[in-house]
Amino acid sequence: MDEFEEFAQQVVTGASIGSIYAIVALAIVMIYRSTSVVNFAQGELAMFTTFISWSFIQSLDYFWASFALTILVAFFLGGALEVLVMRPVEQAPHLNSIVVTLGLLAVFNSLAFWRYGPVPRAFPKPEILSGDPITVGSVTISQLNLGIIVIALLIMAALFGLFNYTKLGLAMRATAQNPVASRLVGINVSRMLALGWALSAAVGAIGGMLTAASLTLSVDMMVAILIFAFAGAVLGGLDSPAGAIVGGLGVGILQALAGNYISSQVDIMAAFVIIIAVLMLRPTGLFGRRVVRRV
Amino acid sequence: MTTIGRRPQTIAWLALVAALFFFPYFDTWPGFAWFLRNLEETTGLNLSVFEVTTFAVWLVILTGLNLLTGYSGQISLGHSALVAAGGYIAAILLDPDNSTEVPVAVAVLGAGLGACAIGFAIGVPALRLSGPYLAIATLALIVSLPQLLKLDNIAEWTGGASGINLPTPHAPSFLDGVVDDHQWLYYSVMFPAVIMTVLAWNLMRSRVGRAFIALRDSEIGAQQMGVNVALYKTLAFGLSALYAGVGGGLFAYQQQFVSPESFGVFQSIQLLVAVVIGGLASILGSILAAAFFTFQVGVIGRLTEVIPAVDRLRWAFYGVLLIVMMVSLPTGAAGLVRRLARLRLADVVSAWRSGDVGRAISSLRERPAVVRILGAPSMKQTPTMETKQGGDDRSD
Repeated sequence: MDEFEEFAQQVVTGASIGSIYAIVALAIVMIYRSTSVVNFAQGELAMFTTFISWSFIQSLDYFWASFALTILVAFFLGGALEVLVMRPVEQAPHLNSIVVTLGLLAVFNSLAFWRYGPVPRAFPKPEILSGDPITVGSVTISQLNLGIIVIALLIMAALFGLFNYTKLGLAMRATAQNPVASRLVGINVSRMLALGWALSAAVGAIGGMLTAASLTLSVDMMVAILIFAFAGAVLGGLDSPAGAIVGGLGVGILQALAGNYISSQVDIMAAFVIIIAVLMLRPTGLFGRRVVRRV
Repeated sequence: MTTIGRRPQTIAWLALVAALFFFPYFDTWPGFAWFLRNLEETTGLNLSVFEVTTFAVWLVILTGLNLLTGYSGQISLGHSALVAAGGYIAAILLDPDNSTEVPVAVAVLGAGLGACAIGFAIGVPALRLSGPYLAIATLALIVSLPQLLKLDNIAEWTGGASGINLPTPHAPSFLDGVVDDHQWLYYSVMFPAVIMTVLAWNLMRSRVGRAFIALRDSEIGAQQMGVNVALYKTLAFGLSALYAGVGGGLFAYQQQFVSPESFGVFQSIQLLVAVVIGGLASILGSILAAAFFTFQVGVIGRLTEVIPAVDRLRWAFYGVLLIVMMVSLPTGAAGLVRRLARLRLADVVSAWRSGDVGRAISSLRERPAVVRILGAPSMKQTPTMETKQGGDDRSD
């Protein structure tokens, strides 16, 4: 294998893990845009819902039905969290909301540990994605990884459609932009915020299930993923959904390249370096908008 | 407050200092030893000399975190990384294998200064970050820390995954018969801890502390009042790192062991949990936080014996506690203590007699002034001032 092919292979591998980062980053961005809260519990929430989907698969024995059911469960769980836990700190300073999401992180981590234990489990792959790897030239990609990339793109397309071509999406964007004015024109702001959390939890659940399918299902599987997803979200701009996808993919590819060409010891540090570098050089990320605040 | 009003407070503080000073000798008195043993057997609360020494270590670390997060309002999820820096510096300096054996005081001081330098280095990029961005960056720092410590290039110094073992500290020979090894360890940790706590208390009532608080409440407002934003924000990081470093050094000295597993994401979060529960922006809060951080281990261990599920649900308990505290008591246990101290017994009794218990209890809840100190809910009060809610803290 010559140098270019090795490089191409690393890019493809990076893109497939990067798609998972992109999905989780998208979930983070959706909450940040609408409530300017960074949800540190996003990863653990995804992990917890993935365990729920594992339970569904055990009892239903049908992957896609469990997949759909889990998304539904995550949707309502996310909405309920916003209403019950986040609403009291909605107007409070950043510290309070960050501390509350850290509390949620601890709760979901512990609940999953209590219910399912520390042993990693094999997560069934959907049948249509478990065929032989596809080879183009000398670059190989497993069907599962290809499926992950396709699903990430589908999610983004669906959200793009929702936000840009529906009245509901317009209301959600308006809420994110100016809650007071939105309330004045008759938008139910509280419901929009809850919906933002619900959608984000659903997207995160998809990310969690795909992570479990490509690795194994374990309580701490999302910790590193969350850091990379943060790196992706910061790279793309914390308030830009398109940026989350591009940033997540970019971080995945950079991680694969750093692992291959520098050392496999440094992959998480690469995420840290990316976050710091982006924040130092371009705090709004690649696609983020610069916010000017009047005082 | 008048001097008369202050008197009970002063007496309480003096009693605390005296108790701490004579504490290592308490259990030579059989009655107290019996009490401690029973206390541990029934509640799991372990008040041995060694555990109280651990409390002193965490007191230094948590006071540092409170300076940064409570007073200056910068959120660090990576405080453990600075503690680790201090711990490793002290361990490397104290390690007899490295032939760099230095006195403990020098090692701990070196740990503090080393971590302080790192803190200043982190503080400079942190200048451009605020709120969630800083939290993300520091979270990434602490997650990547184990990888950093295990890097092949520095594994010779850090001991890689297995960490560094230190010899047991012994009391100097001229103190034979006066203090034993445990008591010596206690005094050599408690003394710097008390000094640093008093220093922090004084500092936070000085110009520096007021500048931190002004910055936290409104960066722009502070700037208008002539506070050098860049200087004080970096200073907060440097100071808190100094405390973390000294605390880390004392940790290495007391535990005689450091490894990448000693410091991690969950410990960092646990530190934040402790500060929030103890009380943000309050030295009493740091003390209560350190007590919580140290002694909950034994209590939860005891609970696990009774209800086995508690062990795995430990973090759920912390999480729920964190959320409940943040929502209902943002000033933590220290705020509650302060308001309890402010209550007049006569008022409570008269409220009780008139059957108005609700009023007596409601006077214990947060006052608006406290909410204001913790940061005003800006949107509700001044809707016209906001141009956009998302990312409104980036005032670059």
